[in-house]
Amino acid sequence: MANKSPVAKYFSNIFMAIKTVSKGMSITMRSFLKTNGLIRKISPSGYDYGRGPVTISYPEQKDKLPAISRNRLFNHVEGCISCNQCAVVCPVDCISIDSRKKNEGENLDEKTPKHFGNKPIKLKLLRFDIDEGLCCFCGLCTEVCPTECLVHTTEFEYSKYDRDALKYDYLDFKDNNSLPE
Amino acid sequence: MENTNLKLNSNFRTQNLTINMGPQHPSTHGVLRVELISDGEIVRAAYPHLGYLHRCFEKHAENLDYLGVVPFCDRMDYVASMNQELGFCMAVEKLLQAEIPERAQVIRVIVLELNRIASHLLAFGTYGLDMGGFTPFLFAFRDREKVLRIFEEICGARLLYNYIRPGGVSRDLSEGIINKIKDFTAYFKPQLDELDSLLTHNSIFVNRTANVGIVPLDLAISYGFSGPNLRGSGLNWDLRKQAPYCGYEKYDFDVCIGQGERGVIGDCWNRYEVRVREMYESMKIINQAIEQLPEGEIKGGVGKTIKPQGEVYVTTECPRGELGFYLIADGSKKPYRLKINSPCFNAISCLDELCGGVMLADVVSIIGSLDIVLGEVDR
Repeated sequence: MANKSPVAKYFSNIFMAIKTVSKGMSITMRSFLKTNGLIRKISPSGYDYGRGPVTISYPEQKDKLPAISRNRLFNHVEGCISCNQCAVVCPVDCISIDSRKKNEGENLDEKTPKHFGNKPIKLKLLRFDIDEGLCCFCGLCTEVCPTECLVHTTEFEYSKYDRDALKYDYLDFKDNNSLPE
Repeated sequence: MENTNLKLNSNFRTQNLTINMGPQHPSTHGVLRVELISDGEIVRAAYPHLGYLHRCFEKHAENLDYLGVVPFCDRMDYVASMNQELGFCMAVEKLLQAEIPERAQVIRVIVLELNRIASHLLAFGTYGLDMGGFTPFLFAFRDREKVLRIFEEICGARLLYNYIRPGGVSRDLSEGIINKIKDFTAYFKPQLDELDSLLTHNSIFVNRTANVGIVPLDLAISYGFSGPNLRGSGLNWDLRKQAPYCGYEKYDFDVCIGQGERGVIGDCWNRYEVRVREMYESMKIINQAIEQLPEGEIKGGVGKTIKPQGEVYVTTECPRGELGFYLIADGSKKPYRLKINSPCFNAISCLDELCGGVMLADVVSIIGSLDIVLGEVDR
């Protein structure tokens, strides 16, 4: 490039500009044709990559999240044995649990489990609160839960106007959004 | 660089102007504030001011048990979380002298390299955006999205995975996910060719990046550069080859080194180009790893309560360079002290050396080519 005369450099710059811009435009055009289904491209295992738009028009159209996707926590309190493991493992301390020892013969008619494995459950759950505003969605609490009653749901649209509304009491669960199954 | 030594008429007295670039600036890649001393359009000095994203991670780790530290490691370099988790987990495993199951090692390699692709795609896209090309950015994000969807099905999260644990990984790969990863590599190879031809040799891009921000090898070594920044300066140094971990010695891949095709070795273009070529190498590793994925356990060697004792320093090759974890454990459930050596911090320290005498627009080019993530610089 340094040996060229100024005139040759000028024209070669114009030529390079036209060349690279047209290269970019041709790639953009090919992408446009693929998106609109005019060219099709199918992967070896049969997946059709070359058709349809990549984006979806949220919120009219909603994406389906995988079942293991980690979003809002939900505790099925009927299965909770107040073992406190989730509250201990939580790195941000967003779970608070209160429980007391059961009196003899108490709770025989309630839905709460009376045995875990072959051990009788001696504790009665009084409070199970999660502050979703603090939750960091690491998933450690759901992994240690022995009865698998504490789960991450795929519910992610639960923004609130008030921070306090993000504190969920699972013994008396109320929310505007639909309950997870 | 002849245009930088402009001679002004001596009758005019000029004074330097201090400009703050950032902390809210689209091309500082996060909350970085650079204090620029500018003489007209020419930058005389550039002082990076750090600490806007400091979250006391190292101190906070002393109050968490070993499992609880892992989600915080994710939040350091939030673009390549898998690689960040690995360093800490390897430090704990080294103290416990744990034998990690073979299947867990191979799964780790697969997710690490997938995350390297996602991270380099982000670097590629945003660097194109910094240089004024919007199309590569959109194309890169379209393909990065596919990697994130794979991660979401592997571990349930798109960005902050908490997947690699001391002793292995938290979930197994199912047959369906393996097929999706195979699909992705088959799909991504031609896409990467396309991305490469779109940006790498574009004459506007080359003019903005070649011969700009040159880091000679001795300067790179004295500042402690690592990763693609160091390889862009022409040194064959990759921890995956030099000190293999996770069984990287079993895979056949090349270390990409800056050749200086478009300018001097160590300029912005070389650092960028090393990243593009590394994505091809990552795909090679993923394909090999999927083929030799053995059956077996995904977790082992570490008990339920983790109580290591001793001191250890572990470095791993992250997309941005060598991330080092210095861990002191006193036999309790929590780390006694954790110190992290961040590659981005070393890279951004060099900014003043690189920005002396360049044009103002080249500062954007230099910061982008260093590929910093401020979460890791400040920790």
